[in-house]
Amino acid sequence: MEVKSTTTDGVTILTPTGRVDTSTAKAFESAVMDAINANKKIAIGFNEIDYISSAGLRVVLMAGKKLQASGGVLVLINMPDKIFTVFKMSGFDKILKICPSFEESKPFFN
Amino acid sequence: MLISLKNDVNEIARLCDEVKKFCEENGVSDEKYHDIVLILDEIVTNVINYAYPDGGTHTFTLDLRKEGDDRISMKLSDDGIPFDPLARDNPDTESSLEERQIGGLGIFIVKQLSEVVEYSRTDDKNHLSVTVSVLNNNNQQKQ
Repeated sequence: MEVKSTTTDGVTILTPTGRVDTSTAKAFESAVMDAINANKKIAIGFNEIDYISSAGLRVVLMAGKKLQASGGVLVLINMPDKIFTVFKMSGFDKILKICPSFEESKPFFN
Repeated sequence: MLISLKNDVNEIARLCDEVKKFCEENGVSDEKYHDIVLILDEIVTNVINYAYPDGGTHTFTLDLRKEGDDRISMKLSDDGIPFDPLARDNPDTESSLEERQIGGLGIFIVKQLSEVVEYSRTDDKNHLSVTVSVLNNNNQQKQ
Protein backbone atom coordinates (compact mmCIF):
# COMPACT_ATOMS: atom_id res chain seq x y z
CA MET A 1 0.00 0.00 0.00
CA GLU A 2 1.07 3.57 -0.73
CA VAL A 3 -0.64 6.80 0.22
CA LYS A 4 -0.54 9.53 -2.42
CA SER A 5 -0.79 13.07 -1.10
CA THR A 6 -1.69 16.21 -3.03
CA THR A 7 -2.85 19.65 -1.96
CA THR A 8 -5.63 21.45 -3.80
CA ASP A 9 -7.27 24.72 -2.66
CA GLY A 10 -5.64 24.34 0.76
CA VAL A 11 -7.00 20.81 1.27
CA THR A 12 -4.67 17.84 1.66
CA ILE A 13 -6.07 14.96 -0.40
CA LEU A 14 -4.80 11.54 0.64
CA THR A 15 -5.34 8.59 -1.68
CA PRO A 16 -4.33 5.17 -0.33
CA THR A 17 -3.73 2.45 -2.93
CA GLY A 18 -4.05 -1.34 -2.68
CA ARG A 19 -5.20 -2.98 0.55
CA VAL A 20 -5.82 -1.06 3.76
CA ASP A 21 -5.62 -3.95 6.22
CA THR A 22 -3.84 -5.05 9.40
CA SER A 23 -0.47 -5.29 7.68
CA THR A 24 -0.71 -1.80 6.12
CA ALA A 25 -2.82 0.07 8.72
CA LYS A 26 0.27 1.42 10.51
CA ALA A 27 1.63 3.01 7.32
CA PHE A 28 -1.83 4.40 6.56
CA GLU A 29 -2.08 5.78 10.11
CA SER A 30 1.35 7.47 9.83
CA ALA A 31 0.41 9.11 6.52
CA VAL A 32 -2.94 10.32 7.90
CA MET A 33 -1.43 11.62 11.16
CA ASP A 34 1.39 13.43 9.32
CA ALA A 35 -1.22 15.12 7.12
CA ILE A 36 -3.37 16.10 10.14
CA ASN A 37 -0.35 17.56 11.93
CA ALA A 38 0.38 19.72 8.88
CA ASN A 39 -3.15 20.73 7.84
CA LYS A 40 -6.63 20.83 9.36
CA LYS A 41 -8.41 20.33 6.03
CA ILE A 42 -8.15 16.72 4.96
CA ALA A 43 -9.88 14.65 2.27
CA ILE A 44 -9.30 10.91 1.91
CA GLY A 45 -10.07 9.27 -1.45
CA PHE A 46 -11.05 5.60 -1.60
CA ASN A 47 -11.11 4.99 -5.36
CA GLU A 48 -7.73 3.24 -5.55
CA ILE A 49 -8.06 0.64 -2.81
CA ASP A 50 -9.09 -3.01 -3.12
CA TYR A 51 -10.73 -2.98 0.29
CA ILE A 52 -10.50 -1.43 3.75
CA SER A 53 -10.69 -3.70 6.79
CA SER A 54 -11.63 -2.76 10.36
CA ALA A 55 -7.94 -1.98 11.00
CA GLY A 56 -8.15 0.75 8.35
CA LEU A 57 -11.59 1.94 9.52
CA ARG A 58 -10.05 2.47 12.96
CA VAL A 59 -7.57 4.94 11.42
CA VAL A 60 -10.35 6.82 9.58
CA LEU A 61 -12.39 7.04 12.81
CA MET A 62 -9.36 8.29 14.74
CA ALA A 63 -8.68 10.93 12.08
CA GLY A 64 -12.31 12.09 12.26
CA LYS A 65 -12.16 12.38 16.05
CA LYS A 66 -8.84 14.23 16.03
CA LEU A 67 -9.92 16.74 13.40
CA GLN A 68 -13.27 17.36 15.06
CA ALA A 69 -11.53 18.01 18.39
CA SER A 70 -9.09 20.48 16.80
CA GLY A 71 -11.66 22.33 14.70
CA GLY A 72 -10.52 20.71 11.46
CA VAL A 73 -12.49 19.06 8.67
CA LEU A 74 -12.34 15.51 7.31
CA VAL A 75 -14.28 14.52 4.20
CA LEU A 76 -14.21 11.05 2.64
CA ILE A 77 -14.43 11.16 -1.15
CA ASN A 78 -14.47 9.04 -4.32
CA MET A 79 -15.92 6.00 -2.57
CA PRO A 80 -16.96 3.06 -4.79
CA ASP A 81 -20.30 1.42 -3.82
CA LYS A 82 -18.66 -1.71 -2.37
CA ILE A 83 -16.53 0.42 0.00
CA PHE A 84 -19.43 2.75 0.86
CA THR A 85 -21.48 -0.32 1.86
CA VAL A 86 -18.86 -1.16 4.50
CA PHE A 87 -18.80 2.42 5.87
CA LYS A 88 -22.59 2.44 5.98
CA MET A 89 -22.97 -0.90 7.77
CA SER A 90 -20.38 0.33 10.29
CA GLY A 91 -22.52 3.41 10.96
CA PHE A 92 -19.69 5.68 9.77
CA ASP A 93 -21.94 7.45 7.25
CA LYS A 94 -23.73 9.02 10.24
CA ILE A 95 -20.63 10.37 11.98
CA LEU A 96 -18.27 11.19 9.07
CA LYS A 97 -18.77 13.35 5.97
CA ILE A 98 -18.85 11.33 2.76
CA CYS A 99 -18.97 13.04 -0.67
CA PRO A 100 -18.99 11.55 -4.17
CA SER A 101 -16.11 13.75 -5.36
CA PHE A 102 -13.61 16.37 -4.20
CA GLU A 103 -15.53 18.99 -6.18
CA GLU A 104 -18.67 18.26 -4.13
CA SER A 105 -16.75 18.26 -0.83
CA LYS A 106 -15.50 21.85 -1.28
CA PRO A 107 -18.37 23.57 0.63
CA PHE A 108 -17.35 21.65 3.78
CA PHE A 109 -13.89 23.19 3.68
CA ASN A 110 -15.02 26.83 3.39
CA MET B 1 -9.07 -24.90 -2.20
CA LEU B 2 -7.10 -25.57 0.98
CA ILE B 3 -4.80 -22.75 2.08
CA SER B 4 -2.23 -23.12 4.86
CA LEU B 5 -1.54 -19.91 6.76
CA LYS B 6 0.98 -18.84 9.40
CA ASN B 7 0.26 -16.49 12.31
CA ASP B 8 1.97 -13.56 10.62
CA VAL B 9 0.14 -10.46 9.30
CA ASN B 10 2.23 -10.61 6.12
CA GLU B 11 0.23 -13.74 5.20
CA ILE B 12 -2.74 -11.49 4.36
CA ALA B 13 -1.12 -10.47 1.05
CA ARG B 14 -0.68 -14.10 -0.03
CA LEU B 15 -4.22 -14.91 1.16
CA CYS B 16 -5.61 -12.12 -1.08
CA ASP B 17 -3.72 -13.48 -4.10
CA GLU B 18 -5.03 -17.00 -3.48
CA VAL B 19 -8.60 -15.78 -3.00
CA LYS B 20 -8.40 -13.70 -6.18
CA LYS B 21 -7.32 -16.79 -8.12
CA PHE B 22 -10.13 -18.83 -6.55
CA CYS B 23 -12.75 -16.18 -7.39
CA GLU B 24 -11.55 -15.88 -11.00
CA GLU B 25 -11.64 -19.65 -11.46
CA ASN B 26 -15.16 -19.81 -10.04
CA GLY B 27 -16.65 -16.85 -11.90
CA VAL B 28 -17.18 -14.77 -8.76
CA SER B 29 -17.88 -11.08 -9.53
CA ASP B 30 -15.51 -8.29 -8.46
CA GLU B 31 -18.07 -7.04 -5.93
CA LYS B 32 -18.35 -10.47 -4.30
CA TYR B 33 -14.57 -10.93 -4.41
CA HIS B 34 -14.37 -7.71 -2.39
CA ASP B 35 -16.81 -9.04 0.24
CA ILE B 36 -15.11 -12.45 0.45
CA VAL B 37 -11.59 -11.06 0.74
CA LEU B 38 -12.74 -8.56 3.40
CA ILE B 39 -14.43 -11.33 5.43
CA LEU B 40 -11.31 -13.50 5.19
CA ASP B 41 -9.02 -10.61 6.13
CA GLU B 42 -11.08 -9.99 9.29
CA ILE B 43 -11.35 -13.61 10.45
CA VAL B 44 -7.75 -14.55 9.57
CA THR B 45 -6.50 -11.38 11.31
CA ASN B 46 -8.44 -12.43 14.42
CA VAL B 47 -6.64 -15.79 14.47
CA ILE B 48 -3.24 -14.15 13.86
CA ASN B 49 -3.80 -11.61 16.65
CA TYR B 50 -5.54 -13.68 19.32
CA ALA B 51 -5.20 -17.45 18.84
CA TYR B 52 -1.53 -17.81 19.76
CA PRO B 53 -0.67 -15.54 22.70
CA ASP B 54 2.45 -17.63 23.41
CA GLY B 55 3.98 -16.37 20.16
CA GLY B 56 6.03 -18.77 18.06
CA THR B 57 5.14 -19.87 14.56
CA HIS B 58 1.87 -21.74 14.11
CA THR B 59 0.01 -22.96 11.07
CA PHE B 60 -3.76 -22.97 10.54
CA THR B 61 -5.95 -23.78 7.57
CA LEU B 62 -8.61 -22.19 5.43
CA ASP B 63 -10.88 -24.37 3.32
CA LEU B 64 -12.48 -22.28 0.57
CA ARG B 65 -15.19 -23.91 -1.54
CA LYS B 66 -17.91 -23.15 -4.00
CA GLU B 67 -21.12 -24.88 -2.94
CA GLY B 68 -23.69 -25.31 -5.68
CA ASP B 69 -24.13 -22.39 -8.06
CA ASP B 70 -24.62 -19.64 -5.58
CA ARG B 71 -22.60 -20.05 -2.40
CA ILE B 72 -19.01 -19.78 -1.25
CA SER B 73 -18.11 -21.44 2.03
CA MET B 74 -15.07 -20.56 4.11
CA LYS B 75 -13.94 -22.79 6.94
CA LEU B 76 -11.12 -21.61 9.16
CA SER B 77 -9.55 -24.06 11.63
CA ASP B 78 -6.81 -23.24 14.13
CA ASP B 79 -5.31 -25.05 17.11
CA GLY B 80 -4.95 -21.89 19.18
CA ILE B 81 -6.58 -21.03 22.52
CA PRO B 82 -10.41 -21.25 22.62
CA PHE B 83 -11.68 -18.05 21.02
CA ASP B 84 -15.23 -17.41 19.89
CA PRO B 85 -15.25 -14.15 17.90
CA LEU B 86 -19.07 -14.26 17.77
CA ALA B 87 -19.27 -13.86 21.56
CA ARG B 88 -18.36 -10.16 21.27
CA ASP B 89 -21.07 -7.55 21.54
CA ASN B 90 -21.89 -5.71 18.33
CA PRO B 91 -20.52 -2.15 18.21
CA ASP B 92 -22.95 0.68 18.88
CA THR B 93 -23.36 2.05 15.35
CA GLU B 94 -25.63 4.85 16.61
CA SER B 95 -23.14 6.59 18.91
CA SER B 96 -21.64 9.99 18.15
CA LEU B 97 -18.19 10.55 16.63
CA GLU B 98 -16.63 11.43 20.00
CA GLU B 99 -18.08 8.36 21.72
CA ARG B 100 -17.73 5.87 18.91
CA GLN B 101 -15.48 2.89 19.76
CA ILE B 102 -13.83 0.65 17.18
CA GLY B 103 -13.91 -2.67 19.11
CA GLY B 104 -15.82 -5.55 17.57
CA LEU B 105 -16.23 -3.86 14.21
CA GLY B 106 -14.35 -6.52 12.22
CA ILE B 107 -16.56 -9.46 13.17
CA PHE B 108 -19.65 -7.22 12.93
CA ILE B 109 -18.76 -6.54 9.26
CA VAL B 110 -18.29 -10.30 8.73
CA LYS B 111 -21.79 -10.96 10.14
CA GLN B 112 -23.31 -8.24 7.95
CA LEU B 113 -21.70 -9.49 4.72
CA SER B 114 -22.44 -13.19 5.22
CA GLU B 115 -25.47 -15.49 5.25
CA VAL B 116 -24.26 -17.81 7.99
CA VAL B 117 -21.45 -17.53 10.55
CA GLU B 118 -20.89 -20.41 12.97
CA TYR B 119 -18.26 -21.09 15.61
CA SER B 120 -17.45 -24.41 17.21
CA ARG B 121 -14.67 -25.83 19.35
CA THR B 122 -13.90 -29.49 18.64
CA ASP B 123 -10.73 -31.62 18.79
CA ASP B 124 -8.96 -28.77 20.60
CA LYS B 125 -9.48 -26.55 17.58
CA ASN B 126 -11.46 -23.40 16.83
CA HIS B 127 -13.64 -23.76 13.74
CA LEU B 128 -15.22 -20.71 12.16
CA SER B 129 -17.49 -21.33 9.21
CA VAL B 130 -18.77 -18.48 7.04
CA THR B 131 -21.08 -18.78 4.03
CA VAL B 132 -21.81 -16.02 1.52
CA SER B 133 -24.24 -15.91 -1.37
CA VAL B 134 -22.62 -15.06 -4.70
CA LEU B 135 -25.81 -14.76 -6.75
CA ASN B 136 -25.34 -11.92 -9.19
CA ASN B 137 -28.68 -10.14 -9.16
CA ASN B 138 -27.86 -7.90 -12.13
CA ASN B 139 -27.01 -10.82 -14.38
CA GLN B 140 -30.15 -12.64 -13.33
CA GLN B 141 -32.26 -9.67 -14.30
CA LYS B 142 -30.55 -9.47 -17.68
CA GLN B 143 -31.20 -13.14 -18.36
